[in-house]
Amino acid sequence: MKRIISALTLITLVSFMSCTSDSTDDSGQGQTDQFDRGAMLVNWADNIIIPSYEAFDVEAKALNAAAAAFVATPDASTLGTLRKAWESAYFSFQNVELFDIGKAEEVRYSYRLNTYPSNATEITSAVESGNYDLALPSAVDAQGFPALDYLLFGLGDSDAEVLAFYTTDANAENYKKYLSDVIGSIEQLTATVLADWKNSFRGSFVSNTSSSASGSVDKLANDYIFYYEKLLRAGKVGIPAGIFSNEVLPQTVEAYYKEDLSKALLLEALNATQNFFNGKAYKGSATGASFKAYLDYLNTIKNGSDLSGLINVQFDAARAKANALNSSFVVQIETNNDALLETYNELQRNTILMKIDMLQALDISVDYVDADGD
Amino acid sequence: MFKPLSILLTATVILSSCSSDDDAGTTNPVLEVPQNYTFTREGNSTVDFNGQTTRIAMAEAISSSLLDFDNATEASIMAQFTHAAGDADFGDAALNASDKNVRSKVAASIDYYNTNAVQSQAIKSTFDDFIAKQVSEVFPNQNVVAIAGTAGQIADGTRTRYVSATGLEYNQAFAKGILGALMTDQMLNNYLSVAVLDEGDNRANNDAGITAEGSNYTTMEHKWDEAYGYIYGASQDPANPNATIGEDDGFLNEYVGRVNDDADFNTIAETIFDAFKTGRAAIVAGDYITRDEQAAIIRAEVSKAIAVRGIYYLQQAKTKIEAGNQTGAFHGLSEAYGFIYSLQFTRNPQTDAPYLSAAEVTGLLDQLMGDGANGLWDLTVETIDAISESIAAEFDFTVAQAASVD
Repeated sequence: MKRIISALTLITLVSFMSCTSDSTDDSGQGQTDQFDRGAMLVNWADNIIIPSYEAFDVEAKALNAAAAAFVATPDASTLGTLRKAWESAYFSFQNVELFDIGKAEEVRYSYRLNTYPSNATEITSAVESGNYDLALPSAVDAQGFPALDYLLFGLGDSDAEVLAFYTTDANAENYKKYLSDVIGSIEQLTATVLADWKNSFRGSFVSNTSSSASGSVDKLANDYIFYYEKLLRAGKVGIPAGIFSNEVLPQTVEAYYKEDLSKALLLEALNATQNFFNGKAYKGSATGASFKAYLDYLNTIKNGSDLSGLINVQFDAARAKANALNSSFVVQIETNNDALLETYNELQRNTILMKIDMLQALDISVDYVDADGD
Repeated sequence: MFKPLSILLTATVILSSCSSDDDAGTTNPVLEVPQNYTFTREGNSTVDFNGQTTRIAMAEAISSSLLDFDNATEASIMAQFTHAAGDADFGDAALNASDKNVRSKVAASIDYYNTNAVQSQAIKSTFDDFIAKQVSEVFPNQNVVAIAGTAGQIADGTRTRYVSATGLEYNQAFAKGILGALMTDQMLNNYLSVAVLDEGDNRANNDAGITAEGSNYTTMEHKWDEAYGYIYGASQDPANPNATIGEDDGFLNEYVGRVNDDADFNTIAETIFDAFKTGRAAIVAGDYITRDEQAAIIRAEVSKAIAVRGIYYLQQAKTKIEAGNQTGAFHGLSEAYGFIYSLQFTRNPQTDAPYLSAAEVTGLLDQLMGDGANGLWDLTVETIDAISESIAAEFDFTVAQAASVD
């Protein structure tokens, strides 16, 4: 109770402060405090974002190699290897999906790699006709990891049934080509995004320290919270649990056909999200400048609260709820959807702490709105 | 400065209509207004608006056909738009059997178009054009990524939108334009019109309780209900429609619901429904002054909802353009296009004219599409703000109030 009160007091003070500084700061400089935003951007780029992409790039290449082996010799062994490579890459991808900025935003990276549920009808029609263009916006639900989920696990009930589509089926050649094309585009898009970070984007990203809507901190903060709110909270949990519909929607869980992966993917994404908040190096233990550090810095000035602590406690609370879930959210929804709803509630509490309280404290405007769904 | 004045003016008008109320010496001070929109005569309901329900369903079907790349043709969509009884134009047998259609009621109100056939035909042709261009320009480019000057598809999050060479979704312009040209015009300028309510012997028959042939309602009661049906005709519970307001169609019901979600306008749904109930109760009581006062409320509020929503979409689009996402703004702008178009069918109860005239609407749409050769591809935030302000200036709310749902 005490903590909440002090946090609220701080927020009130901070928002009051930022209003004041806004009105006296019409020159457009937008620098409202002395926190070293540049150091935070460097930590984000060099210790988290680029290493995460490098790791995923390795996974994407391995996935592509496994696909090549499978297409050359489609059998139970190469299928098993390909499935493992898909699963491993899907985990790794959870560490980059939140950085929808720069080239990733331009090529619609997150949409092309992870729009689910996949559209089986569209995939089938594309395979059978051989007539498709994965770059088209309308093809977004016929590619990426969710399409592979369908192509590797959803074509039949048994391994033999799945294999048949790549061996004895009349369209076996088309299936192999489509599978290769989907995986090839994952690899190629990833290489493009990573190369852009390394060649030019990193420089402009870390030097754009302005505290304005076009500054790197404001933009990535928005991307981060959009990811957390829409893709993690809603996509992985809320939508399947029926929060936004009249009934539960188990067919919308991530990795629907693989079945037992939905919880693990959520936990991986939750870790990536919390680590980024704390500025923790990818696969390391060192921490650098971060949202947490920024909030703590402001708190020191404002005498006060530990909003960053509240956010970390909330991440842990959500993780604790998620850990208790069935490894398959489809099963979880069927047996006890309330547990999934409780997980959603904990995730939702952090949406408020980050989207409202944190962004207000950092004087960052939300740059996205809820679509009205039509 | 402008607004407080106009509010004062409104207050004055209301006051003066109260006085005239007294002068007329109306004898029924207490009107029995039911909780729900439920009215009966000898135990049987007198409420009927099946024609409106049908036309809303037809308009929904046409909107869907505009994106039915695999099956629709210009001829098939036009056949739905101009449907004749018995023709198999729809997937629904009841619609096919109906003798009603959408096009005949586009820009067809007695008050605005009875002696304005040229304008009425021009508006009908605008909708014909949306259909023709959707099929001739957008359909062939279904699997082409749109660029400035070329029709095709654009990404809008996980959604795919299909736009003209100037970035306009004809299907959105059509649907949101129909919201004005059909639903709003018929409601505000036809069925709530004194010329319709009091036509012929309607008053005498209503006073005497003489029902229309083969029906349980008086003609005047039915006309009022037909106005009601253009917003609540698809409701899950038409007697208590605000329980699901916003969810029941893609036209007035939906957008009055959306505007009501905005804290600045969160009484609008209740105000409109209460006015419909009170006006209907007044007809039952033969209190035509109260009836017309309620019609004035409905005219003002429905008109306002259209303006608020138009500005909302403009301002949401502005946010996207400012974030560097020009094409992401096209969907909202296409909806805004239709809402702006619909403003010419609104009704200011103080002037009995639209809040923005047809000429003013044309001017705003020319502005919207006119920042460059490629329409919405070239649209600037300055133009968006100018259009937003032009609309808000005619109403008693601000652009900021309409811009977000907070």
